Amino acid sequence: MLARVANNLFWMGRYIERTEHIARFMNVNYFSSLDAPHELSHSRQFVLRSMMFMVGEHVNEDSEQLNEQNTLYKIGLDSEFPYSVINSIRNARENANSARDLISTELYESINKFYHFVVNYPVDKFVKNGLYDFTVNVTEMTAILRGKIRGTLLHDSVYAIIMMGINIERATQIIRIINTKYNDALLAQGSYGDKFSNSFEWTTLLKCTESYDMMRRFYKKTPTSISTLEFLILNPNCPRSIMNSLNQVHNHIRVLDPSKAYNKNSTAFLVGKVRAEFQYKYIEEIEEDIQSFIENILNNLTKISQKMEKEFFNY
Amino acid sequence: MKHDDTTIFSSYERNPSLYDEIFDENGNVQKTYETLFDLYGKHSIEDYVNLNSKAKASFFNQGITFQVYNEKKTQEKIFPFDLFPRIIHPEEWDIIERGAIQRSKALNLFLWDIYHEKKIIRQGIIPMELISSSANYLHQMIDVDPPGGIYNHISGTDIIKHNDGAYYVLEDNIRCPSGVSYVISNRTALKRALFGVFNHYQAYSVTNYAENLLDLLESTKPKGVDIPNCVVITPGMYNSAFFEHSYLAKTMGVELVEGRDLFVEKDFVYMKTIHGPEKVDVIYRRIDDQFLDPLEFRADSTLGVPGLFAAYKKGNVTLANAPGTGVADDKAVYTYMPEIIKYYLDEEPILNNVLTYHCSRPDELNYVLENIDKLVIKPVDEAGGYGISIGNRLTKKEIEVVKIQVKENPRKYVAQPIMSLSVHPTYIEDSESFEQRHVDLRTFTILGKDKEFVLKGGLTRVALQKGNLIVNSSQGGGSKDTWVLKK
Repeated sequence: MLARVANNLFWMGRYIERTEHIARFMNVNYFSSLDAPHELSHSRQFVLRSMMFMVGEHVNEDSEQLNEQNTLYKIGLDSEFPYSVINSIRNARENANSARDLISTELYESINKFYHFVVNYPVDKFVKNGLYDFTVNVTEMTAILRGKIRGTLLHDSVYAIIMMGINIERATQIIRIINTKYNDALLAQGSYGDKFSNSFEWTTLLKCTESYDMMRRFYKKTPTSISTLEFLILNPNCPRSIMNSLNQVHNHIRVLDPSKAYNKNSTAFLVGKVRAEFQYKYIEEIEEDIQSFIENILNNLTKISQKMEKEFFNY
Repeated sequence: MKHDDTTIFSSYERNPSLYDEIFDENGNVQKTYETLFDLYGKHSIEDYVNLNSKAKASFFNQGITFQVYNEKKTQEKIFPFDLFPRIIHPEEWDIIERGAIQRSKALNLFLWDIYHEKKIIRQGIIPMELISSSANYLHQMIDVDPPGGIYNHISGTDIIKHNDGAYYVLEDNIRCPSGVSYVISNRTALKRALFGVFNHYQAYSVTNYAENLLDLLESTKPKGVDIPNCVVITPGMYNSAFFEHSYLAKTMGVELVEGRDLFVEKDFVYMKTIHGPEKVDVIYRRIDDQFLDPLEFRADSTLGVPGLFAAYKKGNVTLANAPGTGVADDKAVYTYMPEIIKYYLDEEPILNNVLTYHCSRPDELNYVLENIDKLVIKPVDEAGGYGISIGNRLTKKEIEVVKIQVKENPRKYVAQPIMSLSVHPTYIEDSESFEQRHVDLRTFTILGKDKEFVLKGGLTRVALQKGNLIVNSSQGGGSKDTWVLKK
């Protein structure tokens, strides 16, 4: 595989995954806030700020009133905003375009159909009453893409590169979502006697990551801060957990070059090291200083990405 | 068959002076088209509008598009596709196929000759100026022996049906002819929209092009190579034919590369992969001669690979088509095709040539200047339908301008009688009905040392503007699925 094309496939995977998380975050937060139990979490400003925080836009704490339609437009369909859904799928497609000869017709057509769905979505409808329809379609279409990737591509180095992209991005987005909701839970505590550890925000967080039902099955209890974080960060069987993403990255990097796992300068070595460290963490230790933990994991994910660039994409 | 008032054919206007491929001079449907006409006639206008928009969506979804740049945003467009297919009889196809192969072989021998001994010139059959004055004659190719002796591995032949019912060749394209992917995607789109019609006709499949192309590329491997590594080189994803380049690479299962993915070391070509350099043996190149290698041709080219030509000359890598083939698809060389075929193959041409006047010959130049209103004036070295003047469409003032241009540089122009391209019923979106439009046919021929193949189908191109004779996609042309019927 060409180094340039590998780079494009890696980013195709990342953008596909990113599209989904942004869309689902908008959906879940907006709709769960409509009948949220507390004054703050019920407030529209609170939700809009939360959305902006998730896509990395910092809003001045109190001074700025966000306009609902403008905010939704910006995150959903604004081509000028780099982190919007429309830009993510556009970039995914652009990257797929240049690797079109390597991926299956079925996968390419699905990406393309998806892109045309987003590009042709009427802005007016979206900001007024299309949020649910739009975001549900987007999340379903990303599921189709994942199915086509798994079901129609040869499971060789092309697949490994795409899956590396998907899983690195997944871990990145999950940790950003955790960060955002953790922050929301801190802000919301105290309103109507809400306690941090039992905050309504933990349920929202689990729903944002499509993990609510399985978390209930696993713990058989109402989500708390500890159990939610443990499930989303450390549970290797939760498909959205950081641990699971790292395990997948670890599997796929070994397909790319099995012999290099013991070379200390290789990506495989770095991934193995980060993963090993993770395996022996426990949640109480993480919760003690969640901010540094979040910074640390984001830092490690960037390092893995940079290492890949150096080892495989350097053309 | 009578026209029904409520169907899509009810308002079809037949201009009796044009050669309509489906209606005879009395307005009756030709036998071959009867079933098809019946099937399409069953659709109401509303139905058909719907089908047409679904077919368009299918092109968007398949990503068979090109980009148009406006001031504000880039727009994505599809090449217009018409759902009413064109049918070619097996007997007619037989002539086209044999004729296309004959021309490819003759052109190949001609290219070998003019880059080696130049016998055809020394024997006075064609004039030296024709070659020496051609912008596409590459002196770098003199005495270079391409692997297997093949120059034009892939040829596209543009053929029209005149109002005498016979086929004529308009031009040979042996540089980087494009369009073959549209043959296949047109078929796919028609199958998706109107699968039922295929139950009534036995048309040849068009999907075997890629396997034949790969077969050919592998057969041209350099000496000493066991299993050749073949690639397709493209100018990049913003090129209007990028879809075709990626389609061919994908269906052949080979790598699609850009110039920046390749490098040359000690006269061998390598591509940069995730595991380091990998040797490349055969390149199906979709970039023009002048851009292939900045060391040998245009120094400002960023699309090519420095040192590529030296590797080619050494025989370490094969280029298909060979550099320098453009000299033979020059429109002035075209006029000598009957002589060229006779000289190298000792055969009569199977496909007709259109009578052509050389403006470089004084007596013919005089005839051209006096009869511009009855002629088509073409520059000899342009592709894509650019620079063509059709005499009976010009105002007196415009005729004077053309006269001056021709007089200033007579070698640059040839003239032909205005050929009447046949017409085919074509759905026009603005009027929501079928109208007569001019069509031509581009066939795709693959030529190897022991291989001759013509794709059974070809691309029927349609001039979408009423009365227009220029069918090139760069001039707003569309296309149709083309069925070659089985015997």
